[in-house]
Amino acid sequence: MIADQSLDQNEKSLKEMLFHSSDFKSSDFVAGHRHFRLFYFDTMIEFAVVQDHIIRPLLRNADISVRDAVTILEYSETDLLSVASQALVEGQTVVQIEGEPKLYLLGTQLNKERAVNIPVNERVLRGSNQALIENLDTNLNLMRKQISTADLVVKFYQLGRRSNTKVAVLYLRSLANENVLKEFDRRIDSIDIDYVEGTGFIQEMIEDKKFSMFPKMLITERPDRVKSYLLDGKIAILTDGSPNCLIVPVSFWAFFQTPDDYQIGWLFGSAFRFLRIICFIFAMSLPGTYVALVTFDPRIVPFPIALTLQSSMQYIALPPVLEALTMLLILEILREATIRLPSSIANTIGVVGGIVIGTVVVESNLISNMMVIVVALTGIASFIIPSYEMSTTARYLSYPFILMASIFGLFGLELSFLMVVTHLARLNTMGIPYFYSGISGDTIQDTWFRGPIRSLKKRPKESLAKDEMRISARRGGTE
Amino acid sequence: MIHLEKISINQLICLVILTQIGVSVLTLPYAQIRNSGNDSWLSILIGGVLAQAVILIIYQLGKRYSDRSLPQYITAIVGKPLGSVVNFVFAAYFMENIFMVTITYSDIINRWVLFETPWFVIIGVSFTIAAYIASSTLRSMATITQMIMLMFLICFVIVLVSGMGKGDFRHLLPIGTHGIGPLLKGAVPSFWLYSGYELLLYAFPFVRSRKKKDIVMAVSAANGFTTFFYMLITVIVTYNFSESQLKSIPEPMVFILRKFRWPVVQSLDILFMTIWLSVVAVTVYVYLFMSARYLAFIGSKEIRNHPFLVWIIVVVCFGFGLGASDRQWQSRFSDYHNIVTAIMIAIVPTILLLISLARGKAAGG
Repeated sequence: MIADQSLDQNEKSLKEMLFHSSDFKSSDFVAGHRHFRLFYFDTMIEFAVVQDHIIRPLLRNADISVRDAVTILEYSETDLLSVASQALVEGQTVVQIEGEPKLYLLGTQLNKERAVNIPVNERVLRGSNQALIENLDTNLNLMRKQISTADLVVKFYQLGRRSNTKVAVLYLRSLANENVLKEFDRRIDSIDIDYVEGTGFIQEMIEDKKFSMFPKMLITERPDRVKSYLLDGKIAILTDGSPNCLIVPVSFWAFFQTPDDYQIGWLFGSAFRFLRIICFIFAMSLPGTYVALVTFDPRIVPFPIALTLQSSMQYIALPPVLEALTMLLILEILREATIRLPSSIANTIGVVGGIVIGTVVVESNLISNMMVIVVALTGIASFIIPSYEMSTTARYLSYPFILMASIFGLFGLELSFLMVVTHLARLNTMGIPYFYSGISGDTIQDTWFRGPIRSLKKRPKESLAKDEMRISARRGGTE
Repeated sequence: MIHLEKISINQLICLVILTQIGVSVLTLPYAQIRNSGNDSWLSILIGGVLAQAVILIIYQLGKRYSDRSLPQYITAIVGKPLGSVVNFVFAAYFMENIFMVTITYSDIINRWVLFETPWFVIIGVSFTIAAYIASSTLRSMATITQMIMLMFLICFVIVLVSGMGKGDFRHLLPIGTHGIGPLLKGAVPSFWLYSGYELLLYAFPFVRSRKKKDIVMAVSAANGFTTFFYMLITVIVTYNFSESQLKSIPEPMVFILRKFRWPVVQSLDILFMTIWLSVVAVTVYVYLFMSARYLAFIGSKEIRNHPFLVWIIVVVCFGFGLGASDRQWQSRFSDYHNIVTAIMIAIVPTILLLISLARGKAAGG
């Protein structure tokens, strides 16, 4: 619809288009012989900007054009009312002069955002203490500051038919693999959905093998972590309104890395990395192993230990399988309750749930105290894993392990392990093997372990970076 | 559809070693002891050398058609109709191998660990896992195999530590009393312990290597390792038991593990057999994979649905396996199996190489 010459006519049409929203306002002023009218959403604009940079200059300079008068960077003109209404929704102010069928769109958005803060969900001991926030522009600003090179490409997408969520895709031009980018483009273009809620939607819409329990995209809230992955040649996805960043493509091993590893020396870094991977295996298999040992193959355990186990289970009516399942369920309930409650009450849950229930359940002979130890260890082992998704995977995998162990004993465990390894080996993300880098000799330095930085000469293979070398052979320090 | 991505040299080594090593470790010198007595380890060594000779033959064959795998180039050697027959025979041989290995291992599990579990459950579970793994790509399988190699190394340590218990090295002496004849005779049953390198017939074009020679070096290294491992087991077993004892123990390794006590693990044999399951699984799924791949080429066109073929083979094997819990029948079947193995992995490749050489000359001249 083309703008009319008459201000009243335009106001009427715009009101129609915006369904008479109550926060849609207009105001008039006359400067010299010209009659101006401003249209805006008063909930979306910064009043001071409108007053200082639009109204005052126009009043002062009665004759010159709007372009020359206003002191606002975001400036455009249009004669279409539909464009104007979209701009209004985004927080721009629309100016029209009586008798001119032309609309001036001026950027006057009010930016309400929280300050850049310390990360809440991904804490580290050493390393930067910034976290991404909900505002996309601020996040991009953070990223640009982290990587100050023209190489960093930012591409915008508008996703969601109704929400028009802004999605920014970041990558380094000289590193990111074209085929991966192309595949990524294809997938993101095929998204057709009415609204996009944060990164979770995008993740689910573009990932492969939806029935897998393993996370195939890394979610992080740390700009320094995003930077390190971008410099590996990967792609980062930021969404407006979400303080999380998606990284693709990642391998299984990325979920065990934290920025800490690279700050505290390679020996300890490796030790902690290894500990996390061992804990992943622990979290998966510990309850299952216990069930298998107690019910199936008590012969494996030496006699004194077997006696201890026996004495702890003496008066317990439930079979170990049910004990394990019940306790794991209680652990899950406690975990979920602690997340949902306000942080001031969450501590109480820890005391009531952990200590009171734990003690009473043992004293009333419902669950053996051995099982409480096993399940508590499982929980702690899973929480060591830096990625929340991966730790959830570990804990939920323990259920099939328990079932298999209760049917086939240690054999069941072994079979479950084989199944998990097979599943991992068959997974691909964006056509890149998910599990392979932990076994390949070229990339093993940064998977099970964190090798000395000098040994990490090449980028990880899983991103298929265009330029593989990271450091030249020259040495700074002494041996 | 199956993606035929390339595998690395390391992966090839792991694949060959673990395909070679299978259930037989538990029963190891039982077949040889009847002929060569305390010199069984020498018979095993000779078996390894024989296997090495066949590897060289297979390598020569693979090198001549280095861009294709055997089921594809077989028609170039023996013509279309006969090629299909050979492919089918290979597929059937691998199928029989899967059947044999699974049955033998399930029998051992049934007798030593899971006494009460019904026979069809054990073999059903084993076949399902194998089929799940074998329906993936060669590269995924190689990755899985590398993980299992870690498990195998644990087993290796267990064997090494537990075997050094109370024994007598004089059981091994005197060396060579049985003479050359019995030694060679004992080498015959050890020859098929090494089957597994025929994987190269199929995998040759899918190995990423700088030179073709690297491939034969890798397979030879793998074969060398297997020979060493088998000899080690035999020496350990002979060290622990005397010749006359061994003649009546079908699974000596299990006994050795059982009598050894660790402070944290009382019954090592169960632990060992559990971990060993994954090592046996490699043999089964590699053969299953190959069987399906050979089967894919029996028609005039390649059958692209690899997982479907795998599951068909498994269902057939499971059907036969249901009635195979009888031990008498198993041992008779194993005799027959050994002969078939010798024909399929040694004689057939040799004949194929000879035909190919003759044809090559004819074409050249």
